[in-house]
Amino acid sequence: MLVKIRSIANIGLETVPVDVEVDVASVGFPGFTIVGLASKAVDEARERVKTAIVNSKLDFPPRKITVNLAPADLPKDGAAYDLPIALGVLLASGQLVTPDIDLTKSFFYGELSLDGTLRPTRGILLLGLFAQSLGPATVIYVPYPSAAEAGMISGTTVVPVSSLSQLVAHFSNIQKIAPLRLKKIPESVDFTTVEFDLAEIAGQEQAKRALIIAAAGGHNLLMWGPPGTGKTMLSKALSGILPPLSSSEALEVTRIYSVSGLLNPGQALLSSRPFRSPHHGISGAGMIGGGSNPLPGEVSLAHLGVLFLDEMPEFPRSILESLRQPMEDGTVEIVRAAGHVKYPSSFTLVAAINPCPCGYLNHPRKECKCTERQITKYRHRISGPILDRIDLFVPVSPVETEKLAITGSNLSNTVSSVVAKAQVIKARKVQEERFKKEIGLYTNSQMKNAHVKKHGFLTPESENLLRVAANKFDFSARSYFRLIKVSRTIADLEGSKQILPVHMAEALQYRQMI
Amino acid sequence: MKINNRETGRLAEELAGKALIEKGYTILENNFSNRYGEIDIIAKDKDTYVFVEVKAKKGVDFGLPEEMINPHKLRKVKNMALIYMKGETLPCRIDVIAIVLSPTNELVRLSHYENVYM
Repeated sequence: MLVKIRSIANIGLETVPVDVEVDVASVGFPGFTIVGLASKAVDEARERVKTAIVNSKLDFPPRKITVNLAPADLPKDGAAYDLPIALGVLLASGQLVTPDIDLTKSFFYGELSLDGTLRPTRGILLLGLFAQSLGPATVIYVPYPSAAEAGMISGTTVVPVSSLSQLVAHFSNIQKIAPLRLKKIPESVDFTTVEFDLAEIAGQEQAKRALIIAAAGGHNLLMWGPPGTGKTMLSKALSGILPPLSSSEALEVTRIYSVSGLLNPGQALLSSRPFRSPHHGISGAGMIGGGSNPLPGEVSLAHLGVLFLDEMPEFPRSILESLRQPMEDGTVEIVRAAGHVKYPSSFTLVAAINPCPCGYLNHPRKECKCTERQITKYRHRISGPILDRIDLFVPVSPVETEKLAITGSNLSNTVSSVVAKAQVIKARKVQEERFKKEIGLYTNSQMKNAHVKKHGFLTPESENLLRVAANKFDFSARSYFRLIKVSRTIADLEGSKQILPVHMAEALQYRQMI
Repeated sequence: MKINNRETGRLAEELAGKALIEKGYTILENNFSNRYGEIDIIAKDKDTYVFVEVKAKKGVDFGLPEEMINPHKLRKVKNMALIYMKGETLPCRIDVIAIVLSPTNELVRLSHYENVYM
């Protein structure tokens, strides 16, 4: 007998329906074959399905079993076809009958363990969104540990299955599984635990101000200074002042994490804005995304959040250069033999560098031991095009010892993370209002040039100031527009509708090169 | 143990031969072997040469006899069949006879699979 079970394949962030056709023949030599461009993980489903069925106290038929994953020319990967194959075997061998279930409207997805229980499987959120697009009668059967991912999607029934025998009991009406109750997506998502409070960091007022601007407008930031002045600490504090994710943003980011399998079992949504800080030993595929079935890289995992590159010159040049296109376009396209995949990668770049190999160039008290040649070589590790994409350059100078005093009372005038976050949220609200009609546009830094013209509200005096500076310092066209975007964010922070010369002046101040 | 297995095999081949004769096959050879391998039974079904691999198990506690046939074993049978036919192109096929015996050597089940390939 032949049965058709429906499932899906995730190609990047796109979902394609896959028909799992299972035939249990009454003639022919017993065997179990899977066809339809199955990868090693899918092919190994044979052993998992066979053992899981036997261990669920059901019979694995000693007959010729053929499984076809259609469309046959689409490469299939992952262990998620275990559940549809196992169910197909049970139905096709007549051990299970489902007269009251419409199999054409049911989707099955999940990895089996040898004892017949279902294991957490990645990509459940995408299945949920796909089912939602098909209409309200669609039912999805997913592993219990990962079911929460799909729990916030309205208009589809999610049945959390914990084991194969539970599913059999459900279909034979012995004990029904209760579908997952719909949870509302919260308006904003924020469960950030603050690792460093801005108030804990002594001095560095200018850097803190730059962090607030970066967080408010999503601008790229570069900090440079001698070792031990707090560059890393400042960057870590940044994750504490990032605004909460809006519901649509949360869904957008969670999709990427669902595909990567980085959501914890039971986790429905990403709890805070991503803050990724890869080590400089990272490979190109790790940064941009890759693999034969391309998975998202760090640039996509940092989508709508922060990508922090500590010790930026230590990163291989090729990897830094590969950031250029995703930074500009907000998306990254990965092409492999299996096909090409597009992932969003709209991140804020935060980098920390030393001024020279020894780190003490221009230090007020210490002597730099580097030769001219060493310094030039070090500087050349970061190319002009990358520096051109950075909006805020911030020098982090050594802290005066008076400010370090633990017993003094001079901490009172520093900004705390709570206050900074409130400012950031206020500025983001303004931006949200501004970009209400633009889809996928959340921050000032994401504006294209046409948007800058439309939403800039630049006063003639400000533009004049910018023009003079641009002529004097030879800014590129890209820098010109980036400066307007930064000054827009500063104006938003100040609550000004127009970009006044004072805002532009502050933006220009962060433009100085190393 | 070894002797026991050989006895089971011999008994199974006898039973398989009988079953084939009952189906109207002509037995040409039993245990056709050389240093490359062995074919348990070579028979003729009308004009078709049938190379039969017999697999027997005493009880199914350690798996079905069918599970003991793999592509490697079938390839060996195929190579032997080519040797037997001496390069001639004759109508032929490979069959498997799976036999389950009880602990007292009584026949529990005999399944004849025609034209097996993997």
